[in-house]
Amino acid sequence: MVYSRHILREFDTALDALRSDALMMASLTDRNLQNAMTCLLDRVPELCAVTVADEKEVDALEKKVDSNGVEILLRFQPVASDLRQVVSTMKLGSNLERVADQAVKIARRSRKLTMEPELDEAIALGPLFIEAISLFRDSIRSFADGDVTLARSLHERDRELDQMNHDIADDLTAKMAEQPDRIPDYLNLLFIARHLERVGDHAKNIGEDAVYTAQAEDIRHPNNLLEVG
Amino acid sequence: MAVNTMSSSTPTSQSGAMNPTPTSPATAAELVTANAFAVKDLSIWYGEKQAIKNISIDIPVMAITAIIGPSGCGKSTFIRCLNRMHELVPRTRVEGKILFHGEDLYAAGSDPAMVRRRVGMVFQKSNPFPTMSIEENVLVGLRLNGVRNRQVLNERLEKSLRRAALWDEVKNDLKKPGMSISGGQQQRLCIARALAVEPEVLLMDEPCSALDPIATAKIEELIRELRDQYTIVIVTHNMQQASRVSDRTAFFYVGELIEFGDTAQLFNRPRERQTEDYITGRFG
Repeated sequence: MVYSRHILREFDTALDALRSDALMMASLTDRNLQNAMTCLLDRVPELCAVTVADEKEVDALEKKVDSNGVEILLRFQPVASDLRQVVSTMKLGSNLERVADQAVKIARRSRKLTMEPELDEAIALGPLFIEAISLFRDSIRSFADGDVTLARSLHERDRELDQMNHDIADDLTAKMAEQPDRIPDYLNLLFIARHLERVGDHAKNIGEDAVYTAQAEDIRHPNNLLEVG
Repeated sequence: MAVNTMSSSTPTSQSGAMNPTPTSPATAAELVTANAFAVKDLSIWYGEKQAIKNISIDIPVMAITAIIGPSGCGKSTFIRCLNRMHELVPRTRVEGKILFHGEDLYAAGSDPAMVRRRVGMVFQKSNPFPTMSIEENVLVGLRLNGVRNRQVLNERLEKSLRRAALWDEVKNDLKKPGMSISGGQQQRLCIARALAVEPEVLLMDEPCSALDPIATAKIEELIRELRDQYTIVIVTHNMQQASRVSDRTAFFYVGELIEFGDTAQLFNRPRERQTEDYITGRFG
């Protein structure tokens, strides 16, 4: 739904700034994930330092989004779609910060791997990277555009990503038995796959917030029928 | 639609009162248990100007119903119809039906004074009678209704002031002028005055608009406490107040009821675009 501007223009300005900061976070986080991927697949250890530095900027933006979000709640006391927009944008900030954290963890493990002889299985993580980044980008697109159809599709794609992670974990576990001397490296790959799976979880969360923002519908935990309080 | 028309210029006028239309037993029973008011196809004119346009709404019993909307949307006119207060305005004309616990408020023979006793009202600006003491202000309605028993009056005085959360603040100053207390206390005094005649419904027309935030908070807390004993309908310009105190909210716009529903739902997920635009400050 496209909304007209508020009578109070200052409110529009504050909302636009909040959204802009969150989308800047998303852009930096996306770059972090790409750098982490390049660090591993192209064996470029220098990109690890870049990823860590960018993550600090993401952290600072998260604090800014939280602070400005609280200020909007205090000053303008938004309701309905405005309230959902502010709350969801603050939650988006938290999810992005965690994705950026995952990118740093991936980059650090990738740097360790670049110091050892290359493993074929590292390349095998390529499709997992591509799917995780694609999922992440679509979650941001769904949030930015209010694309509810795209947002709702992320649940299923996250499950597919989980399955890819399971399959890779099985392969890596088998390789550890075959090459016990490379167990530390295989463990690093195992953890990288796990971090990518977590990126998918955060992307799914962002999609859920996109649906809540646009339609005020809570689609989290669809199989949990327990109602509290 | 069976339209009944009433024109009046005095609060006690019975001329042209609505003809009572029997309601089905099932409907009447439902109204008694669930709704204080059932408003059907209500339209109101001031002379040529139509202030309310064909509104139908059920107001639940023992709950707080807030009415919001921009200036001139008809919300004050609407609640004044619920105790026939609008009849004080000359050249007022009403069509439609208002059932109060299943009884037609405008039926021939219905006494506006009795309606107003059962459906009390508190106004925007506190209006204690300036020449009366705090005690006299609270008891004036009872005295006008012929109650003379001192014990009854004393009991009702304390009970009303306690219910209005004012007793502890004025119990030693009951003989002082009603105008001598603060604005917030005066408004609670007016609530006590309304409660003294033991109404079933309390209508409140922007009761906090002239009060500071602390006095407003006290009135809001009081409204929540009164909810267990009274049906309350409150008109307010303050949407935060509506969302804080009410169980259900109705949004009026240019004399029409745009949306009516659970307050949390209306302020989080309004069904109508006009409601969304109004509560989010996109027009008004």
